Amino acid sequence: MFHWLEKHPFFFAVGVFVAIAFAGLIEILPNFAQASRPVIGTAPYSTLELAGRNVYIKNSCNACHSQLIRPFKSETDRYGHYSLSGEYAYDRPFLWGSKRTGPDLMRVGNYRTTDWHENHMKNPAAVVPSSIMPAYSWLFTNKADIDTAYAEQLTVAQFFSVPYNKPVPMKDGLTKVVKMGKSVAEAHALALEEAKKVVADMKDQDVKDAVARGEIPEIVALIAYLNSLK
Amino acid sequence: MNIAELSAYGYFALTIFLVIVLYGYIYHLYTKKRDVEGHDYEEYSNMALNDDIGSTPVKPLLRDKEN
Amino acid sequence: MENRPLEYDYTVAKMFMLTTIALGIVGMLIGVILAFELAFPSINTILGSGLAEYTNFSRLRPLHTDAVIFGFTLSGIFATWYYVGQRVLKVSMAESGLLMFIGKLHFLLYIVGVVAVVVSLLAGVTTSKEYAEFEWPIDIAIVVVWVLFGISIFGLIGIRREKSLYISVWYYIATFLGIAMLYLFNNMEVPTILATSPVGETAIGNWWHSVSMYAGTNDALVQWWYGHNAVAFGFTVPIVAIIYYFLPKESGQAIYSYKLSLLSFWGLMFVYLWAGGHHLLYSTVPDWMQTMGSIFSVILILPSWGSAINMLLTMKGEWQQVAASPLIKFMILGSTFYMFSTLEGPIQAIKSVNAIAHFTDWIVGHVHDGVLGWVGFMIMAALYHMAPRVFKREIYSKSLMAAQFWIQTLGVVLYFTSMWIAGITQGMMWRAHDEFGNLAYSFIDTVTVLHPYYAIRGVGGLLYLTGFLLFAYNIYKTWVSDKEVDAERLNQSPMGA
Repeated sequence: MFHWLEKHPFFFAVGVFVAIAFAGLIEILPNFAQASRPVIGTAPYSTLELAGRNVYIKNSCNACHSQLIRPFKSETDRYGHYSLSGEYAYDRPFLWGSKRTGPDLMRVGNYRTTDWHENHMKNPAAVVPSSIMPAYSWLFTNKADIDTAYAEQLTVAQFFSVPYNKPVPMKDGLTKVVKMGKSVAEAHALALEEAKKVVADMKDQDVKDAVARGEIPEIVALIAYLNSLK
Repeated sequence: MNIAELSAYGYFALTIFLVIVLYGYIYHLYTKKRDVEGHDYEEYSNMALNDDIGSTPVKPLLRDKEN
Repeated sequence: MENRPLEYDYTVAKMFMLTTIALGIVGMLIGVILAFELAFPSINTILGSGLAEYTNFSRLRPLHTDAVIFGFTLSGIFATWYYVGQRVLKVSMAESGLLMFIGKLHFLLYIVGVVAVVVSLLAGVTTSKEYAEFEWPIDIAIVVVWVLFGISIFGLIGIRREKSLYISVWYYIATFLGIAMLYLFNNMEVPTILATSPVGETAIGNWWHSVSMYAGTNDALVQWWYGHNAVAFGFTVPIVAIIYYFLPKESGQAIYSYKLSLLSFWGLMFVYLWAGGHHLLYSTVPDWMQTMGSIFSVILILPSWGSAINMLLTMKGEWQQVAASPLIKFMILGSTFYMFSTLEGPIQAIKSVNAIAHFTDWIVGHVHDGVLGWVGFMIMAALYHMAPRVFKREIYSKSLMAAQFWIQTLGVVLYFTSMWIAGITQGMMWRAHDEFGNLAYSFIDTVTVLHPYYAIRGVGGLLYLTGFLLFAYNIYKTWVSDKEVDAERLNQSPMGA
């Protein structure tokens, strides 16, 4: 009776599929909608931050740095409040990571500055002696991809109703509006405006000159993103 | 009774059902030496050992019938 | 048509054997470089600071994992399928022009995919999801390759002479279905090229870029459902398929218990998928899912050990073969490592252990004793067994094979022991508090302490790579040897001194 399947490949395959699909149906489906609601204080990423996030992804920062603070005293002491599901509502993809070769970065914007990141990316061991993180020199010359970041903003606004140009509730009871340009040119202008604020705290003359010319090096976008992690 | 409670009972019943199926299957395999066509299960292991293209299949597929 | 007896046709198997070896070397070499980059950071700029972007740890890391998973392992799975499939179904690929064509197309597109992956990952084009880093155009190519693999499997089954499917074939079918389902669902993404700006501009930015359909916690849930089960259906299920054929065949012993193999198969299919949640313990996914992941991980020991014990008992009364044949040594050590890592995994999935182990090198160690000890050993053993039958030559050197075995075993042992110590040390230091309740160590303290273990791990990896190069050399010499063997051996593979 039970050896029938092995002689009938089609039904065998169906049986296997049912057995393996079962867990996904029960574990993944029920909580899908619930898990993705933003908490108060979580706002979508600006164009420059998103471009910076893409720099973070491009260089697989997530291979060594997590963005997930577990609810243990040792972790909240080190990194800040433990992570909440809603804080990730605008993270596509999620960047929790699976290995902490370096420290967690979930709230790095709370305790590191633009200046710190600039020095650290140029030469990590000069800021943190005996650090094993490599230098990221090319971030200072490569240009951030604002076009793609803008396309990504448009996509999430259109397909997933991410609230750009709409008031988002913040923790202090006020609201915040994250602007998204109406055109590529406007998106560039918005990003540049934000980049100028970041670069005001930086020392690298080439980066400053580039921003003054209207270009945005990857490092500026990345720092804007890291500063937004709170 | 809301939907969550209902599904909880559903899962519980399903778990019991699956446990019964699993142990039934183990019991079946343990007690029966042959499958329904009279083949000793263990004969099927020979499929790996006698696998020349000329070897006689353990259980030949009767192709002529299909054609 | 020449008038000669029908033979199995290993053309496609041979092609995939080649990529198994080539991509194995690439993947393992990158792995060794990465290991030493962690121990000695100056290696990050080994080709000068101009090329630092491409020799940097973070850029190479996905290339390492994908080269060994989708390069070495997957090629090995394909190579063995195109060998085992024909034999246990008792049908030759030469009997069907269509299947032969599909097989060759499968190989060709696979190569195209490999090139695309290497180029894109080096350029930093990645979705960041582990083992699913490829952007949507490559995803589509991978789906096509996979469909061709499916046609090969079911096509061959369709023209088989043996009515009943052998154990290995079940596992190959499961591999096909499992990866297909997981890959499709995890890679649901919207290409950003579809977006239109309010003023009507289209085709903005990079055409290959996309955003995930899922956000945050959901994305993590789907990713680790995939990530965990890609391990299941890439590193476990097909490798079990390999051992169920090659160990009995090489040793001449029928499987200890066919019934046990039935039970472990269905057990594995049902249980494995639930366990993905153990990658997300103490994260923001619902507690009940975490607990579920934990419990099912422990239950998973049963079907895993069912297969492993079945393998070891197959050697009952024939243990002298382990001493006599290096090929059997590979397979027995492989199944032992399988038992070992399927016990270690569930231990790490227990919540209180996971609190220490997660994010540390212990996890890296666990992965590697599975892939180096089990996956790597089994694929190499399978290729060793296939070589004399595919090339019709005896294996070039038995003593080289034995040397390789011991070098690699030492490599694996150095690897996992150093990573155990590194992981537990780091996990304990992260959580250590002093008498006033303050953190006892700054983060960098927990990094510098790992230096010796990173160095030892690098040496372990280097030994394994050395063994793999010996393997490649041995297979190459077998291939080009002029000593043809006249008749295929039923069991024990012929080996030269």
